[in-house]
Amino acid sequence: MSLKRFLIGAGLLAALAQPLVAHHSFAAEFDSNKPVKLTGSVTRLEWKNPHIWVYLDVTERGNPLHWQCEGGAPNTLTRNGWSKDSLKFGEQVTIEGWQAKDGSNTCNLRVITLPDGRRVLAGSSAGDTPTTPKP
Amino acid sequence: MKKSFAAGLLTALAWAAAFPAVAAGQDKYQPPAGKTPRTASGKVDFSGVWAKAYVPDMTQDGQDQKGAGELPFTAWGADDWKHYDAAEGDYTGACLPFGMTRSINTPEPMQIMQSDRYFAFLFEQNSWFTVVPIDGRAHLKGIPTWFGDSVGHWEGDTLVVDTVNFNDMTRLDTVGHPHSDQLHLTQRFSRPDLGHMSYEVTVDDPKTFTRTWKNTRTFTLRADWEMMEYSCEENNKSLWEGRIKVPKPKG
Repeated sequence: MSLKRFLIGAGLLAALAQPLVAHHSFAAEFDSNKPVKLTGSVTRLEWKNPHIWVYLDVTERGNPLHWQCEGGAPNTLTRNGWSKDSLKFGEQVTIEGWQAKDGSNTCNLRVITLPDGRRVLAGSSAGDTPTTPKP
Repeated sequence: MKKSFAAGLLTALAWAAAFPAVAAGQDKYQPPAGKTPRTASGKVDFSGVWAKAYVPDMTQDGQDQKGAGELPFTAWGADDWKHYDAAEGDYTGACLPFGMTRSINTPEPMQIMQSDRYFAFLFEQNSWFTVVPIDGRAHLKGIPTWFGDSVGHWEGDTLVVDTVNFNDMTRLDTVGHPHSDQLHLTQRFSRPDLGHMSYEVTVDDPKTFTRTWKNTRTFTLRADWEMMEYSCEENNKSLWEGRIKVPKPKG
């Protein structure tokens, strides 16, 4: 049985109880009209304030692409069970989030699907977009 | 690549160990129960690390938060709000001070330390703090600041913190509701029991709003937490790489 098939069978979905980020406005950097879903190999996890950054090598239509995705603050992620060792070099993950407004290979990280199939929240700031229309 | 069932199981268990809170699915924390604690001088003791309601939008209700609803903008306030675009400049993204309301609004915890003369509010967000004298002194007439000038007093068992002399560089919340340098905040803190704090903030700013409005919240004592360092400047890639802009000074 392949690892992938075994882990997909687990089918675990987890959610965190706490909101994770408030450093800056989502709208300052990211575009809620540009959702992305990236599957690739982790090249680095940067565990520093004000946000963690996950670096990912993705192959798109045969071309290698380097992506960087912003997660929550290390402090709050730590209180929710993450650590600097939670993602390791070479692990295959899927990231769902939103692309930066400048069109670079940069994203705001909403959910990571881990190698064991669980989907975990990673500290998106997308909940801070205005919910009431402006005049 | 093929791996054995046993190897897959070990990997899954390792991931469960790496994300214990995630594996649990939810935070089952319960604050300690008991009566309102008091200091040696008989005042309500607010000391502790507090989990605050996360309030990115002060008009909205949320968990442990009652919002203001539609805001009573003046023409000036409505125009500022209409034209605000965080993509044109976000002071918090530039690691400038959040100011009072946005520091209280963050999901990061806050520690309170107090004496008979002072309250210190220690915000984990960017490791900022504000110190409030409660010895009866009047407001300073100094340079307007990001957190304003606060003085406090007791009304029975409620601590009232009155703050004026703000600069106009901050926003009230993450979505960017505006204020002016005429902002006057009244924050009321009470502690109905050991594990909870009741919080109310009243916003008064005649340049921005036609009347006062308020939020009410409940904070929870996190006896299991310690404050952690938070250096905003350490790795603020989004600013350095040009995706977040520093706001232009107001004219």
